[in-house]
Amino acid sequence: MVIVTVLKHPLFLFSILGSFLFFVDFWTEYDRQGITVTVAQQQRLSTLWETQTGYAATPAQLDSLIANWIEEEILYQEALRLGLDEQDSIVRRRLIQKLGFIAESEPSKPAEISTLQNFYRENISNYTLPERYTFRQRYFQTETDANDALMLINSGETANILGEPSMLNSEYAYLSKLEINATFGTGFSDQITTTNTDSWQGPLLSGLGFHLVYLIAVHEEETTPFEIIQDQVFMDYRNQQEQNTRSNFVEELTQKYSITIEPR
Amino acid sequence: MGKLFLSFGILIFVVSCTETDGPAEVVTGNSSDRIANNTVAYNNERNAYFGDLHVHSMYSYDAFIFGGIASPNDAYEFAKGGSIRHPAGFDMRLDIPMDFYGVSDHAYYLGIIREMALGDSSLSQHPVAEGIDSLGDDVNQRRSVFLRFAQFASAGNGSEVMDDQVVKNAWDDIVASANRHYEPGKFTTFIAYEYTGTGPEEEVLHRNVIFRDSVVPEIPFSRIDSDDPQDLWSWMDTNRAAGIESLAIPHNSNLSDGLMFALSDYQGRPLDSAYASQRIRNEPLVEITQVKGTSETHPALSTNDELAGFEVLSVRIGGSTPTQPQGSYVRKALLDGVKLEAEQGFNPFKFGFIGSSDNHNSTHVGDEDNYYGVSGLLDSDGQKRGSLPLDSGGENDGVYFDRYARFGASGIAGVWAEQNTRESIYDALRRKEAFGTSGPRIKIRFFAGNNLPDVDDRELVAKSYAGGVSMGGNVITDRNEPATFIAWAAKDPNSAPLQRLQIIKGWVQNEQIYEKIYDVACADNMEIDSISHRCADNNASVSLEDCSISSGLGAAELKSRWEDPEYDSAQHAFYYVRAIENPSCRWSTWDAVRAGVEPRPDLPGTIQERGWSSPIWFIPPQ
Repeated sequence: MVIVTVLKHPLFLFSILGSFLFFVDFWTEYDRQGITVTVAQQQRLSTLWETQTGYAATPAQLDSLIANWIEEEILYQEALRLGLDEQDSIVRRRLIQKLGFIAESEPSKPAEISTLQNFYRENISNYTLPERYTFRQRYFQTETDANDALMLINSGETANILGEPSMLNSEYAYLSKLEINATFGTGFSDQITTTNTDSWQGPLLSGLGFHLVYLIAVHEEETTPFEIIQDQVFMDYRNQQEQNTRSNFVEELTQKYSITIEPR
Repeated sequence: MGKLFLSFGILIFVVSCTETDGPAEVVTGNSSDRIANNTVAYNNERNAYFGDLHVHSMYSYDAFIFGGIASPNDAYEFAKGGSIRHPAGFDMRLDIPMDFYGVSDHAYYLGIIREMALGDSSLSQHPVAEGIDSLGDDVNQRRSVFLRFAQFASAGNGSEVMDDQVVKNAWDDIVASANRHYEPGKFTTFIAYEYTGTGPEEEVLHRNVIFRDSVVPEIPFSRIDSDDPQDLWSWMDTNRAAGIESLAIPHNSNLSDGLMFALSDYQGRPLDSAYASQRIRNEPLVEITQVKGTSETHPALSTNDELAGFEVLSVRIGGSTPTQPQGSYVRKALLDGVKLEAEQGFNPFKFGFIGSSDNHNSTHVGDEDNYYGVSGLLDSDGQKRGSLPLDSGGENDGVYFDRYARFGASGIAGVWAEQNTRESIYDALRRKEAFGTSGPRIKIRFFAGNNLPDVDDRELVAKSYAGGVSMGGNVITDRNEPATFIAWAAKDPNSAPLQRLQIIKGWVQNEQIYEKIYDVACADNMEIDSISHRCADNNASVSLEDCSISSGLGAAELKSRWEDPEYDSAQHAFYYVRAIENPSCRWSTWDAVRAGVEPRPDLPGTIQERGWSSPIWFIPPQ
């Protein structure tokens, strides 16, 4: 008989076995996924309906909302299973954003005095004034004029009458290097020989012209004692806590990954 | 003596540190008033301080939609010299920190869009929030969401999504961040916001409101409350009576289609003296330049000003509608103002100038060679901002994206103030002893009077204050003596040298308005032509290959004691200074040079950076 022949055919038996395995795999996989509509989820659907329509959902409407939610959930799970989210920049950015909000919403802990003291020590540079300089300066448009003036000074002429009038001051007190550079141009502060006080140096080139500089004093770094600056330390600590929450969060997560950047 | 200075220095530091305001509660006292003025370095002759009073953080609806992630706190960290992250992933930093800074987020939708994107509040269920939680790399999608919100407010629907608690939380954070970073004597912060009122066709009537100190209202007045600027001023007047001092600074008059300086009010009524006094009481300044164009003047309005076409943006934001020059530029408004004064005895347009950036990345960009756009992910690279052609091949071959190409890397505010504190800088803004530049920190002094010293006097500043008035002031022309001025500018030590110094005069005669430009000092000993009043060209040039500029040309400082050759003491007139740098590369050229391609042909390859003093007015006695 043809039928018997077919039933006994190895190919047929093989395909039956294959189909069986396929369905076992299929059902077991979906068993593991499982979809449960929790009471909380049902409550959310109900509240959302009320927000949007202004009245409470009837039992029949709620059933329909649940059925709709289940259908969406199935499609959503299936999309995830197929990896449709992986190359989607919107999904990617949105998930990152969500995680960021979670990190931000973690409440910051109140600070013990010892914690603040530690924070103060760890960030001592923030509570320390940098080295600052008090100096006189004379301005010249040309290097030649600056050199001529320097020669006059060295031969005993008083410096007060030398230099061209300009918007610059003739004396600056307690300027940091950054402030000097803001006034004279980047790099100017590095030209001042800080070991050379009580004599005129230069000409130094700035973004404005040439200068003779007479360094009166170098003021060493100064740290403000904790007791005086405690309130500021507290605000800085709290601020850094907030900022750190997110970066700590990222760092913790980063520990869970091994990262390889393929050579270009 | 050295020891005395040292302890003085400690005292300054101690006071400034302990006086910084407390935690996030709204502060009710005026903390800095308690600092005796003499504990922070004080200069009678006043120092130039530079700052930006127009910066948007993540609380601004548009900045957030553009991808903005930086908070007001981040903004102040940046202004002090710190580094913060651009949404596209790179770091942003200033070479030279700011002296003062004010985060000025849009009051309408303040913090709202961020709240919508959280997805957990009922705000995110509103139809206008559609897609706010799914903004990705598609800049067109971001742009269309931005326009939807703008139009939603224009249609009068904005109040549907305004949640006072959300606004208040954002405002409290803005206030607390400003207070936290204020370091009297070193770095001044201003509590500020943007009032984004518009006309019926999206005409820009925007203003930044700057508060003098930490005494501020519970919640800012926004366009949701009213689009009529007079209602804003009335709110400010009411606040002032309650001890809350503020001023408003209009910006982007260039995009107002003639409404910003219209000769009628928002309701269409003719201007009167009550309108003028209320306006000028609340608006002593305008923002003459910023990223979205420079509003000094337009080539169509100033046909004899060869430099009038600087960074002109004449198409409205978010569309292609042109904006008419008449009523949109400050020089013409100053002219209309003195004409009103001469004919009707009031002047609503008696304002000084500042610049600022209107940056939407919480940062300041004023340098052509370090311009990374101002709109988050929308203009974060050369292709997106139109300086580089779109990818070759296909239909976009050789095509440039246009929307941001005519934005300028412009805008910084300068003031002359005794010390770097809120009170001192605010008072300088109030008295209009302020100036603006297109980015470089050019310093400009300007005095007028009958008893000014010689220009090379070693006590030029002290004697000028003693014998005249500074920028922003008035000269009553009760004596028939010549009008004498001291105009003086110093270059930014980190930017190009100065090429020329100009005085721009506007006046009324026989019911007509006139303007005239006089070059008053030229670099490189160039002659001023006696008929055209222009300096001969110093022939400073720029290489479009590498953006290097002519060496040895231009001046570090230019100054002049100048008499108006056509002065008539019966005229109502104003004068202001314009300082012009040698040419240098525009940001779009820098982008092209770095990318190794030709600069975009339909954009200016070079610009002449510049600064503007506030005017001095000459008023005949009644």
